[in-house]
Amino acid sequence: MRKTNNVIKIKDFKVDKGLPFDQEYNFAYLDENTKKMIRRAIIKALCIPGYQVPFASREMPMPYGWGTGGVQVTASCLTKRDTLKIIDQGADDTTNAVSIRNFFKKTSNIKTTEITEKATLIQTRHRIPETPLKKKQIFVYQVPIPEPLAFLEPKVSETIKMHSLSEYGAMHVKLYEDISKNGHIETAYAYPVKTNDRYIMDPSPIPKFDNPKMNNSPAIQLFGAGREQRIYAIPPYTKVKSLDFEDYPFDPFKAEHACDICGSKNTYLDEIIVDDAGNKSFICSDTDFCNKRKNK
Amino acid sequence: MIIPLLKVTNLSKSYDNIVGCKNISMSLYPGEVLGIVGESGSGKTTLINCLSGNLEPDRGKIIFNINNKKTDFLNISESEKRKFIRTDLAFVHQNPRDGLRLNVSAGGNIGEKLMSVGYRHYGNIRSLATKWINKVEIDKSRIDDLPITFSGGMLQRLQIAKNLITSPNVIFMDEPTGGLDVSVQARVLDLIRSLVNELNLTVIIVSHDLAVIRLLADKMIVMKNGTVIESGLSDQVLEDPQQEYTQLLVSSVLHV
Ligand SMILES: Nc1ncnc2c1ncn2[C@@H]1O[C@H](COP(=O)(O)OP(=O)(O)O)[C@@H](O)[C@H]1O
Ligand SMILES: [Mg+2]
Ligand SMILES: [Zn+2]
Repeated sequence: MRKTNNVIKIKDFKVDKGLPFDQEYNFAYLDENTKKMIRRAIIKALCIPGYQVPFASREMPMPYGWGTGGVQVTASCLTKRDTLKIIDQGADDTTNAVSIRNFFKKTSNIKTTEITEKATLIQTRHRIPETPLKKKQIFVYQVPIPEPLAFLEPKVSETIKMHSLSEYGAMHVKLYEDISKNGHIETAYAYPVKTNDRYIMDPSPIPKFDNPKMNNSPAIQLFGAGREQRIYAIPPYTKVKSLDFEDYPFDPFKAEHACDICGSKNTYLDEIIVDDAGNKSFICSDTDFCNKRKNK
Repeated sequence: MIIPLLKVTNLSKSYDNIVGCKNISMSLYPGEVLGIVGESGSGKTTLINCLSGNLEPDRGKIIFNINNKKTDFLNISESEKRKFIRTDLAFVHQNPRDGLRLNVSAGGNIGEKLMSVGYRHYGNIRSLATKWINKVEIDKSRIDDLPITFSGGMLQRLQIAKNLITSPNVIFMDEPTGGLDVSVQARVLDLIRSLVNELNLTVIIVSHDLAVIRLLADKMIVMKNGTVIESGLSDQVLEDPQQEYTQLLVSSVLHV
């Protein structure tokens, strides 16, 4: 009954749950030199919050669009002591999340969990958990398009210049167009932010409801784009502000419903058609949060 | 003594061994319209691109003096230069498609110029954009339409609105009517003329069409093979050209 429209089915990359740790792989699949290179990119990214650092993305045993950037960042950060959580659209049990979790189980033999507080490293596609992230957690986003200016300016040489000179006026054109067409800012996903009062950044296609969670978070937030070969980051306790107009302030928007399973009124909800008559149900997209609350 | 708003000294630019423009010196005062004429390939576009920051000249000096602030255009950092271009200069391209975003509404195109200089109030941006759409004689009901639905003349008027909305100190125009059907050229020219008069704009306009220069320009320079061969008040140069080449240009127009 969970929303499945964004879940892609893969056959050629499927690891059986029961399969033991495979010693033939280097720990977390990538070789140590590659991890070193990626860690350097990550450290640089943390030093310049929101700045896109190029890195030499490796072929991964999964197609682009499957989170190859996030997987490489996770692989490079992972240690034997880590406890890993993988979510896709907030859920731990979707095909994408299960596949990536099994990939790391097979290649690194680390502990995994579905419980946000217990995880030391979380990789995500499209959501930030409802349970607040905490100190010493690493939070890895899968990013399809890292360049927030791409829709305006196709030339990479020019977007690099726009970033380096903080020429961001045009960024508001998108918001202007939204308001002119719809009477409000319609952008609901991948809502652009300014990081540390400096770089404009694409937060990956998370709902704008999650944007405020990025601000001043105690966790380390890392963003990996495999196809576009970019890594960027938000260090802990960094200001992250969603773009807006003075007379149209940022509004994280939330559906006027409570979760039909756990009753939560302040979480991001998926809208689900429950029968042929078209009746709808609203439930938390964060499965871990919803389960915990329901069981309380 | 009035200080020139723009003073150019010995400006040169070549493309490998092809001369673009050579040893150009000139000055421009506030409220003046300077016309640059010359046959195709004489270096008009090269010159205007150097002056507006689209092209880096090889040698020479470009000094702007705006509101008692001197800007040594070729000796400032790239970020200062881009900021100066954004706030103090404007460039109207011959082809309006080069100066507009075709996937952004008319209002968004005009508004972008405001946002690029720091406007962050939607209501203010919207009302200024509406005012300027009107000013360039486009019906304000078209403000949310995409430029692709506009005719060539409308596109050029939209590009002009986009360039003037921030009240730039110098406006560059490279053949602003050159790409338009003859039937709509007159209307765009007329609009430019009335805006120049109403707003007392300082303009450098390139045209191979002497009629355009006669209509708009106070002063003119005539270019040939990358150099200025004659300059002066437009009325004088057009009435009494000194150089044989200019005489030829003028007479060829008068014969048409
Ligand atoms: N990008 C370029 N590369 C090489 N030569 C160029 C380039 N642009 C212009 N030129 C040459 O420079 C000269 C002046 O050209 P241009 O400034 O475009 O003249 P105009 O605008 O008067 O037609 C011409 O000989 C032209 O062929
Ligand atoms: Mg030209
Ligand atoms: Zn719930």
